[in-house]
Amino acid sequence: MKSVIVALFCFLVNATIVLSQVAVISHKSVPEDSMTKSVLLDLYTGDIQSWSNGEPVIVIDLKPRGDVKTAFYDFIGKKSSRIKSIWLKKKLSGEWDTPESLETEDDVVKKVASTAGAIGFVSQSSVTTDVKVLLLIQQGKN
Amino acid sequence: MTRLNTVMSLSLIFILTSASLTQSGDSPIGIFGYFQNSFQHWTTFEDRKEQNSFSVQQLNLFFQKDLSRDWTAFINFEFLNSFSSIRQWGAANLEEAWVKYRANEKFNLKLGLQIPIFNNLNEIKNRTPLLPYIVRPLVYETSFSEFIIIEEFVPDRAFLQVYGFLPKGETKCDYAFYLGNSSNMNDNREKGQTGIDTTTTFLAGGRLGFRYRELKLGLSATHEKKNGIRTLDFISLADSLGREPSELMGLPKTRLGVDMSYKFTNFIFESEFVTVNIDEGIPELELDLDFYYATLGYHLTEQLFAYGSYWVVDVHSALLATGDEKVEDEAIQTLNIGASYDLNDRIRFKGQFARVKADEELHLLSHDDVIKEEDKFSVYAVAVSVFF
Repeated sequence: MKSVIVALFCFLVNATIVLSQVAVISHKSVPEDSMTKSVLLDLYTGDIQSWSNGEPVIVIDLKPRGDVKTAFYDFIGKKSSRIKSIWLKKKLSGEWDTPESLETEDDVVKKVASTAGAIGFVSQSSVTTDVKVLLLIQQGKN
Repeated sequence: MTRLNTVMSLSLIFILTSASLTQSGDSPIGIFGYFQNSFQHWTTFEDRKEQNSFSVQQLNLFFQKDLSRDWTAFINFEFLNSFSSIRQWGAANLEEAWVKYRANEKFNLKLGLQIPIFNNLNEIKNRTPLLPYIVRPLVYETSFSEFIIIEEFVPDRAFLQVYGFLPKGETKCDYAFYLGNSSNMNDNREKGQTGIDTTTTFLAGGRLGFRYRELKLGLSATHEKKNGIRTLDFISLADSLGREPSELMGLPKTRLGVDMSYKFTNFIFESEFVTVNIDEGIPELELDLDFYYATLGYHLTEQLFAYGSYWVVDVHSALLATGDEKVEDEAIQTLNIGASYDLNDRIRFKGQFARVKADEELHLLSHDDVIKEEDKFSVYAVAVSVFF
Protein backbone atom coordinates (compact mmCIF):
# COMPACT_ATOMS: atom_id res chain seq x y z
CA MET A 1 0.00 0.00 0.00
CA LYS A 2 2.84 2.30 0.99
CA SER A 3 4.67 1.69 -2.29
CA VAL A 4 1.46 2.41 -4.23
CA ILE A 5 1.12 5.78 -2.47
CA VAL A 6 4.78 6.61 -3.17
CA ALA A 7 4.37 5.65 -6.84
CA LEU A 8 1.20 7.74 -7.10
CA PHE A 9 2.95 10.69 -5.49
CA CYS A 10 5.88 10.38 -7.91
CA PHE A 11 3.48 10.20 -10.84
CA LEU A 12 1.64 13.33 -9.73
CA VAL A 13 4.89 15.28 -9.19
CA ASN A 14 6.13 14.17 -12.59
CA ALA A 15 2.82 15.07 -14.22
CA THR A 16 2.95 18.52 -12.64
CA ILE A 17 6.45 19.11 -14.06
CA VAL A 18 5.46 17.89 -17.52
CA LEU A 19 2.34 20.06 -17.58
CA SER A 20 4.02 23.25 -16.33
CA GLN A 21 4.93 25.62 -19.10
CA VAL A 22 7.49 28.32 -19.78
CA ALA A 23 6.06 31.52 -21.21
CA VAL A 24 8.04 33.70 -23.59
CA ILE A 25 6.83 37.21 -22.78
CA SER A 26 7.34 40.61 -24.32
CA HIS A 27 6.51 44.25 -23.73
CA LYS A 28 3.07 45.14 -25.04
CA SER A 29 4.56 47.50 -27.63
CA VAL A 30 6.16 44.58 -29.47
CA PRO A 31 4.27 44.19 -32.76
CA GLU A 32 4.69 40.40 -32.98
CA ASP A 33 1.93 38.28 -31.47
CA SER A 34 3.59 34.90 -31.78
CA MET A 35 7.07 33.50 -32.08
CA THR A 36 8.80 30.56 -33.78
CA LYS A 37 11.69 28.62 -32.33
CA SER A 38 14.17 29.81 -34.96
CA VAL A 39 13.25 33.49 -34.48
CA LEU A 40 13.51 33.05 -30.72
CA LEU A 41 16.99 31.60 -31.18
CA ASP A 42 17.99 34.51 -33.42
CA LEU A 43 16.74 36.98 -30.82
CA TYR A 44 18.62 35.31 -27.99
CA THR A 45 21.84 35.04 -29.99
CA GLY A 46 21.65 38.66 -31.15
CA ASP A 47 21.40 37.73 -34.81
CA ILE A 48 18.14 39.68 -34.93
CA GLN A 49 18.32 42.92 -32.96
CA SER A 50 15.14 44.76 -33.92
CA TRP A 51 11.43 44.01 -34.09
CA SER A 52 9.48 44.28 -37.34
CA ASN A 53 8.63 47.93 -36.50
CA GLY A 54 12.33 48.78 -36.09
CA GLU A 55 12.24 48.98 -32.31
CA PRO A 56 15.40 47.53 -30.71
CA VAL A 57 15.04 44.14 -29.04
CA ILE A 58 15.98 44.16 -25.36
CA VAL A 59 16.72 40.60 -24.29
CA ILE A 60 16.26 39.71 -20.62
CA ASP A 61 17.74 36.55 -19.15
CA LEU A 62 16.90 34.70 -15.96
CA LYS A 63 20.00 34.39 -13.81
CA PRO A 64 19.50 31.36 -11.56
CA ARG A 65 19.72 27.94 -13.14
CA GLY A 66 16.52 25.99 -12.71
CA ASP A 67 13.81 24.11 -14.53
CA VAL A 68 12.49 27.21 -16.31
CA LYS A 69 15.87 28.29 -17.62
CA THR A 70 16.82 24.74 -18.60
CA ALA A 71 13.51 24.24 -20.42
CA PHE A 72 13.92 27.51 -22.30
CA TYR A 73 17.47 26.85 -23.49
CA ASP A 74 16.66 23.20 -24.29
CA PHE A 75 13.81 24.51 -26.45
CA ILE A 76 16.00 26.84 -28.47
CA GLY A 77 18.62 24.11 -28.73
CA LYS A 78 21.55 25.80 -27.00
CA LYS A 79 23.16 25.19 -23.66
CA SER A 80 23.28 28.18 -21.38
CA SER A 81 27.11 28.12 -21.48
CA ARG A 82 27.08 28.15 -25.29
CA ILE A 83 24.70 31.11 -25.32
CA LYS A 84 26.99 32.98 -22.94
CA SER A 85 29.94 32.33 -25.21
CA ILE A 86 27.95 33.72 -28.16
CA TRP A 87 27.01 36.79 -26.09
CA LEU A 88 30.63 37.36 -25.12
CA LYS A 89 31.75 37.06 -28.73
CA LYS A 90 29.18 39.65 -29.82
CA LYS A 91 30.05 41.94 -26.94
CA LEU A 92 33.79 41.82 -27.66
CA SER A 93 33.16 42.38 -31.36
CA GLY A 94 31.10 45.48 -30.62
CA GLU A 95 28.08 43.83 -32.20
CA TRP A 96 25.74 43.54 -29.25
CA ASP A 97 25.38 44.28 -25.56
CA THR A 98 25.21 41.33 -23.23
CA PRO A 99 21.59 40.83 -22.07
CA GLU A 100 20.67 41.76 -18.55
CA SER A 101 20.23 38.77 -16.22
CA LEU A 102 17.69 39.12 -13.41
CA GLU A 103 17.46 37.13 -10.20
CA THR A 104 13.74 36.29 -10.04
CA GLU A 105 10.87 35.66 -12.42
CA ASP A 106 8.97 38.57 -10.87
CA ASP A 107 11.90 40.86 -11.72
CA VAL A 108 11.82 39.59 -15.31
CA VAL A 109 8.08 40.24 -15.63
CA LYS A 110 8.43 43.76 -14.16
CA LYS A 111 11.41 44.58 -16.38
CA VAL A 112 9.72 43.30 -19.55
CA ALA A 113 6.51 45.16 -18.67
CA SER A 114 8.37 48.44 -18.18
CA THR A 115 10.89 48.27 -21.06
CA ALA A 116 9.79 48.93 -24.62
CA GLY A 117 10.98 46.17 -26.95
CA ALA A 118 11.86 43.78 -24.11
CA ILE A 119 11.54 40.01 -24.29
CA GLY A 120 12.03 37.45 -21.52
CA PHE A 121 10.93 34.07 -20.28
CA VAL A 122 9.30 32.94 -17.03
CA SER A 123 7.09 30.10 -15.83
CA GLN A 124 3.49 30.48 -16.97
CA SER A 125 2.31 30.96 -13.40
CA SER A 126 4.41 34.14 -13.08
CA VAL A 127 2.85 35.87 -16.09
CA THR A 128 0.76 38.98 -15.39
CA THR A 129 -1.54 41.02 -17.59
CA ASP A 130 1.17 43.68 -17.93
CA VAL A 131 3.03 41.64 -20.54
CA LYS A 132 2.23 39.87 -23.78
CA VAL A 133 2.72 36.10 -24.11
CA LEU A 134 4.36 35.24 -27.43
CA LEU A 135 4.91 31.52 -26.95
CA LEU A 136 4.31 28.74 -24.45
CA ILE A 137 6.97 26.07 -24.11
CA GLN A 138 6.06 22.81 -22.48
CA GLN A 139 8.87 21.75 -20.18
CA GLY A 140 10.67 18.62 -21.24
CA LYS A 141 9.68 19.06 -24.90
CA ASN A 142 11.43 20.79 -27.73
CA MET B 1 37.04 94.47 -29.14
CA THR B 2 34.78 94.16 -26.09
CA ARG B 3 31.92 93.25 -28.38
CA LEU B 4 34.04 90.61 -30.08
CA ASN B 5 35.04 89.15 -26.71
CA THR B 6 31.39 89.05 -25.62
CA VAL B 7 30.36 87.29 -28.82
CA MET B 8 33.20 84.81 -28.49
CA SER B 9 32.38 84.17 -24.82
CA LEU B 10 28.71 83.62 -25.60
CA SER B 11 29.61 81.36 -28.50
CA LEU B 12 31.90 79.33 -26.26
CA ILE B 13 29.20 79.05 -23.57
CA PHE B 14 26.69 78.00 -26.23
CA ILE B 15 29.02 75.35 -27.63
CA LEU B 16 29.88 73.97 -24.18
CA THR B 17 26.23 73.97 -23.09
CA SER B 18 25.15 72.26 -26.28
CA ALA B 19 27.88 69.67 -25.84
CA SER B 20 26.94 68.97 -22.23
CA LEU B 21 23.23 68.75 -23.05
CA THR B 22 24.00 66.32 -25.86
CA GLN B 23 26.18 64.32 -23.51
CA SER B 24 23.51 64.13 -20.82
CA GLY B 25 20.94 62.81 -23.29
CA ASP B 26 23.32 60.28 -24.81
CA SER B 27 23.80 56.68 -23.91
CA PRO B 28 26.83 56.22 -21.66
CA ILE B 29 30.21 55.17 -23.02
CA GLY B 30 30.77 51.48 -22.38
CA ILE B 31 34.30 50.74 -21.18
CA PHE B 32 35.32 47.12 -21.02
CA GLY B 33 38.12 44.82 -22.01
CA TYR B 34 40.14 41.78 -21.11
CA PHE B 35 43.66 40.61 -20.44
CA GLN B 36 45.53 37.36 -20.46
CA ASN B 37 48.44 36.66 -18.15
CA SER B 38 50.50 33.62 -18.95
CA PHE B 39 53.47 31.61 -17.86
CA GLN B 40 55.31 29.86 -20.64
CA HIS B 41 58.16 27.40 -20.53
CA TRP B 42 59.98 26.89 -23.83
CA THR B 43 62.51 24.12 -24.21
CA THR B 44 65.74 24.85 -26.07
CA PHE B 45 65.65 25.38 -29.81
CA GLU B 46 68.18 26.61 -32.33
CA ASP B 47 70.55 28.84 -30.38
CA ARG B 48 68.00 29.83 -27.78
CA LYS B 49 68.28 28.59 -24.24
CA GLU B 50 65.43 27.22 -22.21
CA GLN B 51 62.98 29.98 -21.34
CA ASN B 52 60.66 30.51 -18.41
CA SER B 53 58.62 33.63 -18.56
CA PHE B 54 55.63 35.29 -17.00
CA SER B 55 53.95 37.96 -19.09
CA VAL B 56 50.85 39.99 -19.70
CA GLN B 57 50.43 38.34 -23.05
CA GLN B 58 47.70 40.71 -24.11
CA LEU B 59 45.49 43.45 -22.77
CA ASN B 60 42.70 45.03 -24.79
CA LEU B 61 40.68 48.04 -23.78
CA PHE B 62 37.42 48.86 -25.54
CA PHE B 63 35.33 52.00 -25.65
CA GLN B 64 31.87 51.69 -27.15
CA LYS B 65 29.09 54.19 -27.55
CA ASP B 66 25.70 54.01 -29.19
CA LEU B 67 25.48 57.27 -31.12
CA SER B 68 21.87 56.66 -32.09
CA ARG B 69 19.57 53.68 -32.59
CA ASP B 70 21.45 52.63 -35.74
CA TRP B 71 24.97 54.00 -35.23
CA THR B 72 27.65 52.66 -32.88
CA ALA B 73 31.24 53.81 -32.36
CA PHE B 74 33.92 51.39 -31.16
CA ILE B 75 37.58 51.78 -30.25
CA ASN B 76 40.00 48.98 -29.38
CA PHE B 77 43.45 49.58 -27.88
CA GLU B 78 45.75 46.59 -27.69
CA PHE B 79 48.87 46.12 -25.54
CA LEU B 80 51.06 43.09 -26.17
CA ASN B 81 53.78 41.20 -24.30
CA SER B 82 53.91 43.19 -21.03
CA PHE B 83 54.02 46.47 -22.90
CA SER B 84 56.35 49.01 -21.38
CA SER B 85 57.67 52.01 -23.26
CA ILE B 86 60.37 52.55 -20.61
CA ARG B 87 61.72 49.03 -21.02
CA GLN B 88 60.94 48.96 -24.73
CA TRP B 89 58.93 45.76 -24.29
CA GLY B 90 55.99 44.62 -26.33
CA ALA B 91 53.79 46.78 -28.48
CA ALA B 92 50.80 49.08 -28.20
CA ASN B 93 48.40 49.31 -31.11
CA LEU B 94 45.26 51.11 -32.04
CA GLU B 95 43.58 47.98 -33.35
CA GLU B 96 40.15 49.31 -34.20
CA ALA B 97 38.37 52.65 -34.45
CA TRP B 98 35.16 52.37 -36.37
CA VAL B 99 31.61 53.55 -36.60
CA LYS B 100 28.90 51.10 -37.60
CA TYR B 101 25.54 51.58 -39.20
CA ARG B 102 23.14 48.69 -38.71
CA ALA B 103 20.05 48.75 -40.89
CA ASN B 104 19.07 45.21 -39.94
CA GLU B 105 20.66 41.77 -39.88
CA LYS B 106 20.92 41.83 -43.67
CA PHE B 107 22.95 45.02 -43.94
CA ASN B 108 25.66 46.49 -41.73
CA LEU B 109 28.18 49.10 -42.76
CA LYS B 110 31.39 49.55 -40.81
CA LEU B 111 33.57 52.58 -41.51
CA GLY B 112 37.04 53.07 -40.07
CA LEU B 113 39.95 50.95 -38.90
CA GLN B 114 38.76 47.40 -38.32
CA ILE B 115 39.75 43.75 -38.43
CA PRO B 116 38.06 42.28 -41.51
CA ILE B 117 36.13 39.03 -41.61
CA PHE B 118 38.29 36.28 -43.06
CA ASN B 119 37.67 32.61 -42.33
CA ASN B 120 36.55 31.74 -38.84
CA LEU B 121 39.17 33.17 -36.51
CA ASN B 122 40.57 36.35 -38.03
CA GLU B 123 38.00 38.73 -36.62
CA ILE B 124 38.26 37.28 -33.10
CA LYS B 125 41.91 36.23 -33.14
CA ASN B 126 42.82 38.71 -30.41
CA ARG B 127 39.74 38.06 -28.24
CA THR B 128 41.55 35.77 -25.81
CA PRO B 129 38.56 35.13 -23.50
CA LEU B 130 36.77 33.50 -26.43
CA LEU B 131 39.57 31.12 -27.29
CA PRO B 132 40.73 28.04 -25.38
CA TYR B 133 44.31 28.54 -26.64
CA ILE B 134 47.20 30.33 -24.96
CA VAL B 135 49.40 30.12 -28.04
CA ARG B 136 46.89 30.57 -30.86
CA PRO B 137 47.03 28.91 -34.27
CA LEU B 138 50.26 30.43 -35.54
CA VAL B 139 49.08 32.91 -38.15
CA TYR B 140 46.67 34.33 -35.58
CA GLU B 141 49.19 34.61 -32.77
CA THR B 142 49.55 38.38 -32.48
CA SER B 143 52.14 38.14 -29.73
CA PHE B 144 54.36 36.13 -32.12
CA SER B 145 54.20 38.76 -34.85
CA GLU B 146 57.93 39.32 -34.50
CA PHE B 147 58.52 35.75 -35.73
CA ILE B 148 55.62 35.15 -38.10
CA ILE B 149 54.41 37.81 -40.47
CA ILE B 150 50.74 37.46 -39.70
CA GLU B 151 49.49 39.96 -42.26
CA GLU B 152 51.05 37.90 -45.05
CA PHE B 153 48.61 35.09 -44.28
CA VAL B 154 45.48 36.86 -43.15
CA PRO B 155 44.25 40.41 -43.76
CA ASP B 156 45.12 42.56 -40.80
CA ARG B 157 43.15 45.72 -41.42
CA ALA B 158 40.31 47.10 -43.46
CA PHE B 159 38.63 50.50 -43.50
CA LEU B 160 35.25 49.87 -45.05
CA GLN B 161 33.13 46.76 -44.74
CA VAL B 162 29.57 45.74 -45.52
CA TYR B 163 28.32 42.51 -44.00
CA GLY B 164 25.26 40.68 -42.80
CA PHE B 165 23.30 37.54 -43.39
CA LEU B 166 20.25 36.47 -45.32
CA PRO B 167 18.06 34.18 -43.23
CA LYS B 168 15.82 31.42 -44.45
CA GLY B 169 14.43 29.48 -41.52
CA GLU B 170 17.36 27.94 -39.70
CA THR B 171 19.68 28.45 -42.66
CA LYS B 172 21.69 31.64 -42.96
CA CYS B 173 23.87 32.89 -45.76
CA ASP B 174 26.59 35.20 -44.46
CA TYR B 175 28.38 37.74 -46.57
CA ALA B 176 31.11 40.32 -46.03
CA PHE B 177 32.93 42.58 -48.46
CA TYR B 178 35.65 45.02 -47.50
CA LEU B 179 38.28 47.45 -48.69
CA GLY B 180 41.50 48.51 -47.06
CA ASN B 181 45.11 49.28 -47.69
CA SER B 182 47.51 46.72 -49.04
CA SER B 183 49.46 45.09 -46.25
CA ASN B 184 52.74 46.82 -47.03
CA MET B 185 52.32 49.78 -44.72
CA ASN B 186 55.58 50.53 -42.89
CA ASP B 187 57.26 47.46 -44.30
CA ASN B 188 60.71 48.69 -43.56
CA ARG B 189 60.85 48.96 -39.81
CA GLU B 190 64.43 50.25 -39.88
CA LYS B 191 63.34 53.39 -41.69
CA GLY B 192 61.05 54.56 -38.93
CA GLN B 193 57.38 54.27 -38.19
CA THR B 194 55.81 57.48 -39.32
CA GLY B 195 52.32 56.03 -39.47
CA ILE B 196 51.86 57.58 -42.86
CA ASP B 197 50.77 55.02 -45.38
CA THR B 198 52.36 55.48 -48.75
CA THR B 199 50.34 52.64 -50.24
CA THR B 200 48.80 53.41 -53.57
CA THR B 201 46.91 50.15 -53.88
CA PHE B 202 43.90 48.67 -52.15
CA LEU B 203 43.09 45.46 -50.42
CA ALA B 204 39.72 44.07 -51.49
CA GLY B 205 38.25 40.99 -49.93
CA GLY B 206 35.29 39.19 -48.53
CA ARG B 207 33.72 36.04 -47.20
CA LEU B 208 30.70 34.07 -48.20
CA GLY B 209 29.39 31.69 -45.60
CA PHE B 210 26.63 29.27 -44.81
CA ARG B 211 25.20 28.40 -41.41
CA TYR B 212 22.76 25.69 -40.50
CA ARG B 213 22.23 25.09 -36.80
CA GLU B 214 25.74 24.29 -35.51
CA LEU B 215 27.35 23.80 -38.91
CA LYS B 216 29.27 26.76 -40.31
CA LEU B 217 31.09 26.86 -43.63
CA GLY B 218 32.85 29.72 -45.36
CA LEU B 219 34.94 30.73 -48.32
CA SER B 220 37.14 33.82 -48.03
CA ALA B 221 39.34 35.67 -50.47
CA THR B 222 41.38 38.84 -50.69
CA HIS B 223 43.29 40.52 -53.46
CA GLU B 224 45.85 43.27 -53.22
CA LYS B 225 49.04 44.52 -54.79
CA LYS B 226 52.18 44.45 -52.75
CA ASN B 227 54.94 46.99 -53.07
CA GLY B 228 57.53 44.44 -52.08
CA ILE B 229 58.03 41.00 -50.61
CA ARG B 230 58.74 41.30 -46.95
CA THR B 231 59.66 37.66 -46.52
CA LEU B 232 62.66 38.17 -48.80
CA ASP B 233 65.30 40.85 -48.94
CA PHE B 234 63.69 43.11 -51.49
CA ILE B 235 66.73 44.88 -52.93
CA SER B 236 68.99 41.84 -53.07
CA LEU B 237 66.11 39.91 -54.59
CA ALA B 238 65.79 42.41 -57.42
CA ASP B 239 69.57 42.34 -57.78
CA SER B 240 69.64 38.53 -57.95
CA LEU B 241 66.97 38.55 -60.60
CA GLY B 242 68.86 41.16 -62.60
CA ARG B 243 65.82 43.41 -62.49
CA GLU B 244 65.03 46.87 -61.32
CA PRO B 245 63.36 47.04 -57.89
CA SER B 246 60.47 48.86 -59.53
CA GLU B 247 59.65 45.69 -61.47
CA LEU B 248 58.79 44.01 -58.17
CA MET B 249 56.38 46.76 -57.22
CA GLY B 250 52.66 46.13 -57.31
CA LEU B 251 52.83 42.36 -57.35
CA PRO B 252 49.32 40.89 -57.27
CA LYS B 253 48.77 38.87 -54.12
CA THR B 254 45.78 36.62 -53.53
CA ARG B 255 44.68 34.90 -50.35
CA LEU B 256 42.11 32.13 -50.40
CA GLY B 257 40.59 30.68 -47.26
CA VAL B 258 38.19 27.92 -46.37
CA ASP B 259 36.71 27.46 -42.91
CA MET B 260 34.45 24.92 -41.34
CA SER B 261 33.16 24.42 -37.83
CA TYR B 262 30.67 21.99 -36.40
CA LYS B 263 29.34 21.40 -32.94
CA PHE B 264 27.78 18.06 -32.15
CA THR B 265 26.57 17.29 -28.64
CA ASN B 266 29.66 18.06 -26.53
CA PHE B 267 32.11 17.88 -29.43
CA ILE B 268 33.45 20.86 -31.34
CA PHE B 269 35.40 20.62 -34.57
CA GLU B 270 36.99 23.66 -36.21
CA SER B 271 39.23 23.84 -39.21
CA GLU B 272 40.70 26.41 -41.58
CA PHE B 273 42.90 26.48 -44.61
CA VAL B 274 44.63 29.55 -46.03
CA THR B 275 46.70 29.65 -49.17
CA VAL B 276 48.55 32.77 -50.32
CA ASN B 277 49.89 33.21 -53.77
CA ILE B 278 51.97 36.09 -55.03
CA ASP B 279 51.58 36.13 -58.76
CA GLU B 280 54.80 37.90 -59.48
CA GLY B 281 54.62 37.36 -63.23
CA ILE B 282 58.33 36.73 -63.06
CA PRO B 283 59.12 33.15 -64.06
CA GLU B 284 62.31 33.09 -62.00
CA LEU B 285 60.49 33.80 -58.76
CA GLU B 286 57.99 31.71 -56.78
CA LEU B 287 56.50 32.53 -53.41
CA ASP B 288 53.61 30.63 -51.87
CA LEU B 289 52.37 30.39 -48.30
CA ASP B 290 49.95 27.85 -46.82
CA PHE B 291 48.41 27.45 -43.40
CA TYR B 292 46.12 24.81 -42.01
CA TYR B 293 44.69 24.13 -38.61
CA ALA B 294 42.18 21.72 -37.16
CA THR B 295 40.91 21.51 -33.60
CA LEU B 296 38.79 18.82 -32.03
CA GLY B 297 37.42 19.70 -28.63
CA TYR B 298 35.12 18.19 -26.06
CA HIS B 299 33.13 19.82 -23.27
CA LEU B 300 33.71 17.51 -20.31
CA THR B 301 31.37 19.74 -18.32
CA GLU B 302 29.83 23.12 -19.09
CA GLN B 303 32.93 24.75 -17.57
CA LEU B 304 35.68 22.34 -18.57
CA PHE B 305 36.79 22.05 -22.18
CA ALA B 306 39.61 19.87 -23.52
CA TYR B 307 41.02 19.89 -27.03
CA GLY B 308 43.66 18.64 -29.41
CA SER B 309 44.81 20.85 -32.25
CA TYR B 310 47.18 20.52 -35.20
CA TRP B 311 48.66 23.43 -37.16
CA VAL B 312 50.88 23.56 -40.22
CA VAL B 313 52.58 26.58 -41.76
CA ASP B 314 54.30 26.06 -45.12
CA VAL B 315 56.44 28.65 -46.86
CA HIS B 316 57.73 27.88 -50.33
CA SER B 317 60.03 30.24 -52.18
CA ALA B 318 62.11 29.71 -55.27
CA LEU B 319 64.64 31.95 -56.90
CA LEU B 320 65.47 30.61 -60.32
CA ALA B 321 67.81 33.34 -61.58
CA THR B 322 70.73 32.12 -63.61
CA GLY B 323 73.68 31.26 -61.42
CA ASP B 324 71.76 31.53 -58.19
CA GLU B 325 68.96 28.98 -58.44
CA LYS B 326 67.58 27.94 -55.10
CA VAL B 327 64.38 26.52 -53.74
CA GLU B 328 63.54 26.96 -50.09
CA ASP B 329 60.79 25.14 -48.21
CA GLU B 330 60.00 25.77 -44.60
CA ALA B 331 57.37 23.89 -42.61
CA ILE B 332 56.33 24.46 -39.02
CA GLN B 333 54.09 21.76 -37.59
CA THR B 334 52.58 22.13 -34.17
CA LEU B 335 50.69 19.53 -32.21
CA ASN B 336 48.75 20.86 -29.24
CA ILE B 337 46.74 19.54 -26.38
CA GLY B 338 45.06 21.82 -23.92
CA ALA B 339 42.18 22.56 -21.65
CA SER B 340 40.28 25.54 -20.37
CA TYR B 341 38.14 25.97 -17.31
CA ASP B 342 35.57 28.75 -16.87
CA LEU B 343 35.58 29.67 -13.23
CA ASN B 344 32.68 32.01 -13.95
CA ASP B 345 31.49 34.20 -16.83
CA ARG B 346 34.56 36.42 -16.56
CA ILE B 347 37.51 34.29 -15.56
CA ARG B 348 38.91 31.48 -17.67
CA PHE B 349 41.93 29.35 -16.76
CA LYS B 350 43.88 27.70 -19.56
CA GLY B 351 46.62 25.12 -19.96
CA GLN B 352 48.37 24.11 -23.17
CA PHE B 353 51.18 21.90 -24.35
CA ALA B 354 52.57 22.46 -27.83
CA ARG B 355 55.13 20.33 -29.61
CA VAL B 356 56.68 22.31 -32.44
CA LYS B 357 58.65 20.81 -35.33
CA ALA B 358 60.35 23.21 -37.71
CA ASP B 359 61.85 21.83 -40.91
CA GLU B 360 63.81 23.84 -43.38
CA GLU B 361 65.13 22.60 -46.68
CA LEU B 362 67.29 24.71 -48.97
CA HIS B 363 67.95 23.25 -52.39
CA LEU B 364 70.82 24.98 -54.16
CA LEU B 365 70.12 23.90 -57.70
CA SER B 366 73.24 25.40 -59.20
CA HIS B 367 75.43 23.39 -56.79
CA ASP B 368 73.11 20.39 -56.68
CA ASP B 369 73.25 20.65 -52.93
CA VAL B 370 70.52 20.23 -50.33
CA ILE B 371 70.82 21.73 -46.87
CA LYS B 372 68.35 20.42 -44.32
CA GLU B 373 67.66 21.70 -40.86
CA GLU B 374 65.27 20.25 -38.36
CA ASP B 375 64.42 21.58 -34.97
CA LYS B 376 61.99 20.50 -32.30
CA PHE B 377 60.92 22.18 -29.15
CA SER B 378 58.04 22.23 -26.72
CA VAL B 379 55.99 24.93 -25.09
CA TYR B 380 54.24 24.41 -21.76
CA ALA B 381 51.89 27.21 -20.87
CA VAL B 382 49.30 28.16 -18.30
CA ALA B 383 47.24 31.32 -18.36
CA VAL B 384 44.33 33.19 -16.92
CA SER B 385 42.09 35.23 -19.17
CA VAL B 386 39.93 37.85 -17.54
CA PHE B 387 37.04 39.80 -19.04
CA PHE B 388 36.13 43.02 -17.24
